[in-house]
Amino acid sequence: MFAFILAAVLTQSPVAPAEPSPPPAPGTPKAAPAVPLSTLPPATHELFQRIEGQVAQVRIIERRSGTRSSIGSAFFVSAAGHAVTNYHVISDVVIHPEDYTAELVLKGGAEPVPVRLVDVDVVHDLAIIQTATPVQSFFDLDDREPPQGARLFAMGNPRDLGTTIVEGTYNGFIHDALYERLHFSGAINPGMSGGPTLTGEGLVVGVNVATMGNQVGFLVPVKHARALLVRALEAKDSGAQALLATVRAQLLDNQQRVTERLLGAPVPQQTLGSYRVPGRWGTFLKCWGDTPHDPEVPYTVTNYQCSSEEDIFVSSRHRTGVVAFLHQHATSQKLGALRFSALYSALFSQDPDAVEATRQDVTNYRCQSEFVDVAGLPVRAALCMRAYRKFPGLYDLVLRAATLNASTSGVDTSLTLAGFTADNGRKLARRYLEGLSWTK
Amino acid sequence: MDEVIFLEVLEGDSVQARHRLERFPVNVGRGYGNDVILDDPKVSAEHLRIERREDGTLVLRDVGSQNGTYRVEPWAQLAELELVTDTRVSVGDTVLRFRARGHPVEKTVVAAAPTAPRPRVFEQPRYFSLALQALLGASLLEGYLANYGRTDWGELTVALVVPLGITFLWAGGWSVASRIARRQFHYRTHATVAALVLLGSVVIQPLLTLVGFSLGVSGNLAWAHHVAFLSLMAWGLYWHLRYVTRWEPGRLIRVIAVVTLSFGALSRADEWLGNESFSTELGFRRSLLPPAFRLVGTEPMDDFFSDAVKVQEQVDALARDP
Repeated sequence: MFAFILAAVLTQSPVAPAEPSPPPAPGTPKAAPAVPLSTLPPATHELFQRIEGQVAQVRIIERRSGTRSSIGSAFFVSAAGHAVTNYHVISDVVIHPEDYTAELVLKGGAEPVPVRLVDVDVVHDLAIIQTATPVQSFFDLDDREPPQGARLFAMGNPRDLGTTIVEGTYNGFIHDALYERLHFSGAINPGMSGGPTLTGEGLVVGVNVATMGNQVGFLVPVKHARALLVRALEAKDSGAQALLATVRAQLLDNQQRVTERLLGAPVPQQTLGSYRVPGRWGTFLKCWGDTPHDPEVPYTVTNYQCSSEEDIFVSSRHRTGVVAFLHQHATSQKLGALRFSALYSALFSQDPDAVEATRQDVTNYRCQSEFVDVAGLPVRAALCMRAYRKFPGLYDLVLRAATLNASTSGVDTSLTLAGFTADNGRKLARRYLEGLSWTK
Repeated sequence: MDEVIFLEVLEGDSVQARHRLERFPVNVGRGYGNDVILDDPKVSAEHLRIERREDGTLVLRDVGSQNGTYRVEPWAQLAELELVTDTRVSVGDTVLRFRARGHPVEKTVVAAAPTAPRPRVFEQPRYFSLALQALLGASLLEGYLANYGRTDWGELTVALVVPLGITFLWAGGWSVASRIARRQFHYRTHATVAALVLLGSVVIQPLLTLVGFSLGVSGNLAWAHHVAFLSLMAWGLYWHLRYVTRWEPGRLIRVIAVVTLSFGALSRADEWLGNESFSTELGFRRSLLPPAFRLVGTEPMDDFFSDAVKVQEQVDALARDP
C-alpha cells in the first residue's frame, strides 16, 4: 500500500496554537538597523507596500463564544467591497449559518468589519464575500498565464502572524487533475488560504488553496475566481438556503461532468493473474500497484488501485467528489479451498478508506448483496449507498465484488464514488462491474 | 400430654437432633451427667429438668441456669412451664421444641414420576469423553481452517488448551453450586454439558456461514446468530440447573424461558427501538466459501442494479429522518 498523500487544507483552525514568543526583555539591544533597501530583490517591498491594503484576514466567528473559530485570507476584487477567498475558509458559514458568521480584519488592525457571503464555487474551492463599505484599491483579475518558472509572490496571513509575502515559482497546471489547480513552488502555510498569488507586476495568477509541505503549494487558477466574480456581481441577495442550493447545484453539475467523462471512455482492461479488471479509467486517476513478497505466507495478494487523489471540500469533516477503486488478486498453490476461502473472506471484509463525513452530513450505509452473473463469471457483489442529508439527490456509493469461479484464486474489488446521483452511481458501478472478466 | 414425648433441637425451621424422652425426670444441659446434652456454650452444665407430675402433666423447670430459660411464644423468662405439644423453649442460642408421639404429620407428597429411575445421558462417562473429543476436534479444525497464513503451532495449541480450560473451570463452578444445593458435585455431568455448550458456540458461526453462503442470504444473519446463541444458553442452563435445584422440569423450563427471553430482548433492545448509531460500516455478509458450496443460481446484472433502487429508497427514508 502506498501512503495516500492528502493536501492539507489551509484554513487555520485552533488545532495547534503556536507558542506566543515572549516579548523582548528590556535591556536587549534594539534589532539591527534595517537592511538597506538596495540589497532586497528589486520591487518586492514596493509591491508589498502597494498592495498590502488589498489583502485582509478572514475570521470565522462562532456566535455562542463570540470569538473566532478559524482564520483565512481574502483579497479585494471590486470597488464595491467584493473579496475573493476560499470556500473552505468560509464553509462553516455556508453549512451552519445559524452558528457562524464571518468578518474581515483590514490593514491597520482597526475593528474587524462584518462581511456578507455573496456566492460560492464549491468545486473550485472559491467564495466571494463583500464588506458593507466600498474600498479604495483592489486587484484586477486578469487572466494571463505566466511562463513556467516565473517568479510569483503569495500573500496571506500565515498562522495569524500578520500579512506576509512569500516568494516562489510558477510551475503550471497540475497534469491530469480532476479539479484544476496550479502548482506553486513556495511556502504556503495555514492561514494563507484565500490569499492571492501575484506576478511581480501585481497581477493575480491564482488563489492560495492547499499545500503538500516542502514548498509544494497549490493555487486555484484565477479564471475561476473571475467567473465567480462575474456571477456574484449580477447576483441578487443570497440567503443561507440559496447558498446551500447553489452548492448542491454545483455538486450535481460536477458529478454529471465526471460521469460523462467516465462513461464517454471505454473502461481499459488491466490483467491481474487470469482475470481482467478495470484499469486506469480516466486520465485524472492515479494508479498504483504492488505485490507484497513474503516467502513465509502460502498465498500472494496483488493490489491494484486507482484514485483521483483529490476531493471536494464541503465542510471540515465532509468531503465529496471522489472516484477510487481497488482490486486485490489473491491466489494460492498451497492452501486448500476452505483455507483459501478464509483468506478471501478476510479480503472481502476489508472496506476501502471511507470518504470523510459525519452524522449531520450523511446517513448510514444500506447494502444489498447477491450472486451476480457478469458475462458468465459468477461474482458475489454488494452495492451500498448512503444519502447526503443537506444535499438531497446526492449519494456516496460503494460497490464490492468478489469473483467466485475458482476455489483457490479470485479478484476482490471495490469501487468508491462519493457525491453522485443514484442513477449515475449505478451506471458507473455497472460499467465498472462489466469490466471484470476471466480469461481462461 | 402423652407418655412419650420428643425433644427436638431446632436450627431455623429444621430439626437438627431429635431425642425420645421415656423416663422422667430428664436432665438437660451441657454437662455429661445429663440425659440430653446440648453443645451450646451459653447453656449451663445443668440447665433444666423435665419432670412428670402425679396428674401426668409434664413440667419443665429451670434448675438455676446462668443465662435462664425462655418461652418463645410469647417471649418470657420462665422458672417453670407446663409442656403442651409444639411448645418451644429457648436456652442459650438453642431452641428446643417438644412434641408428643401423636403429633400429626403432613400428607405424603405424591412423586411426579412413579417410574424406575433411568440413567441420564450426561451422567454416563462415555458421553463425557465423546463431548470433550468433539469439542477439541471442532476447535482444532476451526483453528486450522481459519488460519490462512503459515501453520502456527502455538495457535493450534491454544485452540486445544483454551476450550479444555474453559470446560473444566465452568464445570467447577456449577459443581460447587450442586454441592451446596444438593450435597453432590456431579462434576462429570457438568463438564459434559459445558463441553456440549462450547461445541455449540464453536459450530454456530460456521454453520450460519454455510447456510448464508449456500443460499445466498443477503443480510448478515445477525438475528439467526442471536436466536441460536439464546437457545444454546437456555439448553445449557436447563441441564446445569437440573443438577443444582430440585425443581420440576416444567417449572425449570418456564423460569429459563423467561430468563432467556428477557436477556435476549434486553441485549437487542437498542436495535428494536431503532437507535442506530452513526457508522461508516458497510453491512453485508462478508463470509465467502469455495464456489462449490453455492446452491442458488446467479442473477443477471440488470436485476442486481434494478434492485439497487430499493437501497436508494432505504437511504432516502433515513435521510428524511431528523
